[in-house]
Amino acid sequence: MALTRRTTGLTALALGTALLGTGGPAGAQPTADEIMARAHLAMFYPGEDMRARVTMRLVSRDGKERLRELTMTRRDVQEGGEQRYFIYFHRPPDVRDMTFLVWKYPGKDDDRWLYVPALKLVRRIAANDKRSSFAGSDFSYEDISGREPEEDTHKLVREERVGERAAWVVESTPKDASSVDFSRKLSWVDSATALPLKEEYYDRRGELARVFTAEEVREVQGLWTVTKRLMKNVQTGHSTQAVLADVRYNLKLAPDLFSERALRAPPAELVR
Amino acid sequence: MKRGRAVLAGLLVAVAAGVAAAEEPLPLHGFVQTASAYRLVRPRACPPTQRLACDESFVLGEGRARLEVDPRGERWGLVAKGELILDAVGGEVEGDLREGYLDLRFPALDLRVGRQVITWGVGDLIFITDVFPKDWVAFISGLPLEYLKKGSDAVSATGHWARTSLQLVLIPRFEPDTLPEAGGRLRFHDPMAAIEARRTDEPSPALERTEAGARLFRNLLGWDVSLYAYRGFFHAPAGEVESGPRLRLFFPRLDVYGASAQGAALGGVVSFEAGYYDSRSDRSGRMAAVENSSVRLLAGYQRELVPDLTASGQYSVQVMQGHDAYMRARGPGMAKRAAARHVLTLRLTQLLLHQTLRLGVFALASPNEGDWYLGPEARYQITDALSATLGINAFGGPRRAEYGQFEGNSNLFAVVRYAF
Repeated sequence: MALTRRTTGLTALALGTALLGTGGPAGAQPTADEIMARAHLAMFYPGEDMRARVTMRLVSRDGKERLRELTMTRRDVQEGGEQRYFIYFHRPPDVRDMTFLVWKYPGKDDDRWLYVPALKLVRRIAANDKRSSFAGSDFSYEDISGREPEEDTHKLVREERVGERAAWVVESTPKDASSVDFSRKLSWVDSATALPLKEEYYDRRGELARVFTAEEVREVQGLWTVTKRLMKNVQTGHSTQAVLADVRYNLKLAPDLFSERALRAPPAELVR
Repeated sequence: MKRGRAVLAGLLVAVAAGVAAAEEPLPLHGFVQTASAYRLVRPRACPPTQRLACDESFVLGEGRARLEVDPRGERWGLVAKGELILDAVGGEVEGDLREGYLDLRFPALDLRVGRQVITWGVGDLIFITDVFPKDWVAFISGLPLEYLKKGSDAVSATGHWARTSLQLVLIPRFEPDTLPEAGGRLRFHDPMAAIEARRTDEPSPALERTEAGARLFRNLLGWDVSLYAYRGFFHAPAGEVESGPRLRLFFPRLDVYGASAQGAALGGVVSFEAGYYDSRSDRSGRMAAVENSSVRLLAGYQRELVPDLTASGQYSVQVMQGHDAYMRARGPGMAKRAAARHVLTLRLTQLLLHQTLRLGVFALASPNEGDWYLGPEARYQITDALSATLGINAFGGPRRAEYGQFEGNSNLFAVVRYAF
């Protein structure tokens, strides 16, 4: 029940700020909490569902490259709340045909299932740590499916331009320091689209550790989408660029897609 | 391979038709792989039926090429995975159709026909409801884990309604487990080592010999719950001495009823599985050759300790039914097993270097029978296509126990694979 109330609160907040005008005059200055709530919805909840072909390029400090190619689908059970993800791996060859299913719940560990095609085995994966790397990339699970804004306290630091775009700079500090590997995070949130254009993660010693950059932002079916994302670990020199192609929203994806049936036999449109 | 030449031919025709029907050029996948395993333990005494296994330093030495095609449409799919194996130790070349099946997809029904791998249950290298054929020789020899599972020539139909699914499996052609056998290159405990004359009776393909299985499954309150039923045969043979003397190996009738549940709990993943093995030709337990009925239980727990380090453990017990009758049926010189076999397992997996280096260890031991298996392994993904694996398979314990008998096969193995 608390979950529903919080979720609707979050939605109302976002709606409220939206009514105040996207990228509106400085007179209607939103609070840091409102900005981060809007950013969360803009980044992780656009549309009722979505599908995209994602190519991740993992580059080491010495320039060695590895590719991960996958089709990702998402369906929101509740705006700002529960979500389901279904992922089909195209590349590299040793994970080709693997499928991965996540049922994400706010305030609770995800349910995750992995299907290993060589063994025809559906296996549950322990999911108690959202900091784990996703497929070996510099993105963690939390970077892919979102960290709840309520887990941090937010402070509006300043307004600043990122390239052409006006942005709010918000500093976020985790309420439970042991739950994450950053001590604070700075987000540059686009005042027009509410998308994070840049993020800086500082480690427990206060040193800059990882930097997220939205390299390309495009409008798809009226929804602003970060179609090129870069996460760079400035301490190791390793970076991952994720490029989203063929992004489609509101496909009316059937709930059946997010089940064991689909894990074992993914629909043809995801596999191509 | 004798098995399924007709299936292979039929499949090739079907694949050709599929290729012709596919709108886009059909991508070809597969790999080339070399695998070898060096025997670490030298035998002290050697029974006459195992001379090859005692003399050969390499448990495994082979090259393998795999080709996979899988054309798909909206409502159908074809999968063919064929292998060419160059066995340097045996000096043989063979072909194998690992999987070859046709998928048909209806709104509430999935149909799969052909050679397919079927996996049931939630155990990690402990199989209770997964009665489908396994290649233990591949596992002991250090081949990648996927080779532990063998394909079944089967028809599988899975219906889905109201978030509940029911899978029915029919296997007209019985496929036994591949186990170390006399004359092979693996050592094992052979109570009939004195008898070199042997023959194997396999259940012939006929309606009454068809294996049948059913699995009913759904997600219930966040738990993946399954019920299982199976009617068929033990996949490991029983042996009895006939006149000659000659050892006759055969596959006694077996029914299995079971259940499993897996869900998120205690900050990790918790698994339960239970099964009742009904040994239909020896319900009284008085036949010395045939395994008695048994109850088998498993509980497991898996948890990510820190990012990229996962630990899991299992406890399993197998309780023999009619143990008194079993004890009476055993002759004075025969080995006698306790009523229960307890097994503990532990697995640790550490991912490093952006998950391109995987260090893992799997340990299994029976505290009451004293046998054990230890399998440390390191796998490095050199590039996206090229990987190298180095590991050890170590077995030990009493010579008559399940894993103890394989002590003389303990090996150091290396696998290099280029996948495309």
